[in-house]
Amino acid sequence: MKIVLQNLTKIFPSRNKKSDEEVVAVNNFNFEIPDGKLIGLLGPSGCGKSTTLYMISGLQKPSSGKIFFGNDDVTELSTENRGIGLVFQNYALYPHLTVKQNILFPLQNLKGKDKLDKNTMLDRAYEAAKLVQIEQLLDRKPSELSGGQQQRVAIARALVKMPRVLLLDEPLSNLDARLRLQTREEIRRIQKETGITTVFVTHDQEEAMSISDMIVVMKTGVVQQIGKPQDVYDDPANLFVAKFLGTPPINVFSGHVKGGTLFIGGDAVMDIQTVADQEVVVGIRPEGFVLDENGPLKCKPSNVEVMGRDVSIVSTHDASLNPLVRSIVNADNKINISSEYVRYAVKPHKIFIFNKETEERIYFEVK
Amino acid sequence: MVESKQQWKAWLYLAPAIVLLLIFTVWPIINTIHMAFLENYNGLKAAGGATFNFGFANFQKVVSYRRFTQCMQNTMLLCVITVPISSILALLIAVALHSIKRFQKVLQTIFFLPYVTNSIAIGMVFAAMFNIVGSFLGMESEILVTPGIVNNIIEFFGGTKVNWINYGSTYTANLFVMAVYIIWNALPFKILILLGGLASINKQYYEAAKVDSTPHWRVLTRITVPLLSPMLAYVIITGFIAGFKEYTSIVGIFGESMGPANDAGRLNTMVGFIYDSLANNNQGRASAAALILFGVILVVTLINLWVSKKRVHY
Amino acid sequence: MSQNSMRVMRAKDMRKTTFYQRLGAILGKTGVYAFLILVALIVLFPFYWMILSSLKSLYEYKLSKPTFWPQQVLLSNYTEAFTAANLGKLFLNTAYVGIVSTLLSLFITIITAFAFARLQFKGKELLFAALLGTMMIPGELFTITNYMTVSYLGWMNTFTALIVPFLVSVFYIYLLRQNFLQIPNELYLAAKVDGTSDWKYLWKVMVPLALPTLISITILKMMGAWNSYIWPRLVANDEAHRLVTNGLRDAFTDISGDTNYPVQMAAVALVSAPLFLVFVFLRKYIMAGVSRSGIKG
Repeated sequence: MKIVLQNLTKIFPSRNKKSDEEVVAVNNFNFEIPDGKLIGLLGPSGCGKSTTLYMISGLQKPSSGKIFFGNDDVTELSTENRGIGLVFQNYALYPHLTVKQNILFPLQNLKGKDKLDKNTMLDRAYEAAKLVQIEQLLDRKPSELSGGQQQRVAIARALVKMPRVLLLDEPLSNLDARLRLQTREEIRRIQKETGITTVFVTHDQEEAMSISDMIVVMKTGVVQQIGKPQDVYDDPANLFVAKFLGTPPINVFSGHVKGGTLFIGGDAVMDIQTVADQEVVVGIRPEGFVLDENGPLKCKPSNVEVMGRDVSIVSTHDASLNPLVRSIVNADNKINISSEYVRYAVKPHKIFIFNKETEERIYFEVK
Repeated sequence: MVESKQQWKAWLYLAPAIVLLLIFTVWPIINTIHMAFLENYNGLKAAGGATFNFGFANFQKVVSYRRFTQCMQNTMLLCVITVPISSILALLIAVALHSIKRFQKVLQTIFFLPYVTNSIAIGMVFAAMFNIVGSFLGMESEILVTPGIVNNIIEFFGGTKVNWINYGSTYTANLFVMAVYIIWNALPFKILILLGGLASINKQYYEAAKVDSTPHWRVLTRITVPLLSPMLAYVIITGFIAGFKEYTSIVGIFGESMGPANDAGRLNTMVGFIYDSLANNNQGRASAAALILFGVILVVTLINLWVSKKRVHY
Repeated sequence: MSQNSMRVMRAKDMRKTTFYQRLGAILGKTGVYAFLILVALIVLFPFYWMILSSLKSLYEYKLSKPTFWPQQVLLSNYTEAFTAANLGKLFLNTAYVGIVSTLLSLFITIITAFAFARLQFKGKELLFAALLGTMMIPGELFTITNYMTVSYLGWMNTFTALIVPFLVSVFYIYLLRQNFLQIPNELYLAAKVDGTSDWKYLWKVMVPLALPTLISITILKMMGAWNSYIWPRLVANDEAHRLVTNGLRDAFTDISGDTNYPVQMAAVALVSAPLFLVFVFLRKYIMAGVSRSGIKG
């Protein structure tokens, strides 16, 4: 089931009664989510990603714009009639019901022609439990389960009524680091197995990048970029997206273009012919640095962190907008920290320049 | 929260409560105030078509009434005697209970027992304990006379027996019996609340005091009481409010006559006065008295809050 | 001073204090237990005296030298009390009023608290504040007019008069609303996604989760019916509708006459018994309810 969001906008009235200031939580969101894909809505808190999810679920009504599931306009449809499954951040399992009763709960609400007999309901519940591998926990209460197990129950409860769309709100945020890795693979597997179009919300870019077919990066209600994770990473549309994706984060410098040459501070880094003279912000991915004795970029090294296969060189540069410049290079390189400068060449496809005012990407061609 | 334009549904849920509240809470407030200001309002006469002037006559009558001043005095005295004593006693018991481990649950249960009693029924037990059966002035040798178990105990310790509640008993003796019963009745709630407060005090304060080798008494007055002061304030304020509404415990001991046989009504309280006026169809006077009671409770509560604002450490 | 000698000094100090501390602690503990046991005896004494007296003969009761164990256990006092005070009828009346008013009151409390906790409507905060405001007003102020209302409605000497005026308790609504608010909002949203109606969510999720509070309310309400005295005396003090407390007081109203005190005490014990049974089995809920309420009955 594909999902189409058309000019989707959500405006919250001001909480402060004195001012008329409204909060635009989601601003003119247009997107077509292809059938059977796993989509990550990504952004810092307050960016409108959860509001978007809640509008798709029907728990919140859009101020304007439309939502389609396939060809059906569901904008005015109430939550229970949309055929969605929703997994909450804190799972929202009914604490007084057993796992089995929790999973059965949505089925018992079906009315009219959708009504199921007892055995069918039980079969469906077992099937859902099996899919998330919690068959042996069916008679326990939620309080007797670990966080990861509760998460699985919540997913089973969302899947049991065979939803057209599965929505997950920060599905991994309440799990510890090890479980998080395991569970995100699990979510990927379940999504693949069921083929249900799935949208999940996260503030963790690594999480979104690792399992999504596509990611949507949002900031203060406005969609910044939509694309495959690798494409967005390799080709960010603006400084925000570039900064938001990647660990360690991108290095940012203030620079300028003069006569077709890009300068970072006093270092002439690269020739770029197509860009007019102007002040710019330069972003370089940590893996974009190449150690080169004659390299144009001169940084003062302060520390080396060994990470096994790679090493991370921590250094400083006068033009850097971050306190530290961090590069990742192959561990085979010999680095001498005590030397005055470490010199880098830069891989052209790992360097991005942005307009200083608008922070929009300035595209250039390398000669 | 889910957005819903179906506000009428919410009102459907509220309807039963609102209807009942309008009839039995809102209307009484309006009507009682109204009646209080209708001079000499009388339910029977009103039904007969009589009209009443607007004015303060009810209040004047109530205040100038000797029996009302007696009721006021009784209520005040009982409050002033019982609230401080029961609060301090409850504090001591709660602190003692909190400091022990063995038998804590058993003792706590025992101390809570008076709460789950019928104040009329147990009042009758107290009356029996203080009651002299037979003639108090009769012969000492008379066999079928018991001075009551309390007097038995007093005599056991070498005292002389007292006429507590019977014909010819003194006002002081009556008040003493009432105070004992009211304190006995008021303890459980206060202990429960204070014990809950003690349990929520951070143990580190006590460990710190131990490190500084603070004596027990100082720990009580300098740590426990200040940290418990919100609960103490609550217990004292509710104690005063309950004290001003004292009525059934007196019925329990003295019966409807509200006093010893030779002086019925001697121990009547403000609530008792209101019901007596009501029984005489004097709704105007009852309403005025109820408003005065409300005013007194309000003033005392405000004074309590004002004092506790200065003394309570949150 | 060298570090070593400091250490020795300290060890000596500690040994000394532990000895005195231990002595002090033992004395202190003994004092605390003595105090608590004394108070416990005072608290228990009236109950002991009630039961003891209820088993004595009138002759033994009147002995000027009291006995602390009945010479002859007279259980017949209880049967006599039961018939003399017509306790059977009183118990039935009270149970009827208690059960009906508790059930209706619970229902109203639940739906009202739910509306205040979960539903959106204009003026919610204001209405709730107004409700809480009525808690400050002493009940006597309502009683005067309610007495007239009840007689105007022709409810005098009916069970209706005993039940209906007190069905709405603002305090219980407040208590339950607070409890409802603690239930995470996500459960409500999850139920919405699952297609649960407000009504079904209330009864299938919220009510089970708030069960301890509801049990507390039930017990306090039942105790209220069992202990109520003033209102029943005003509006329904006829033979057919009299409640247990009024019946007890009326049956033994004369304290100076030639009352059969053991029988009176037996009646008091019988009236107290249900309360004690409830207390023994549901102590936890009563204490939890009371520590949040502070209102007797």
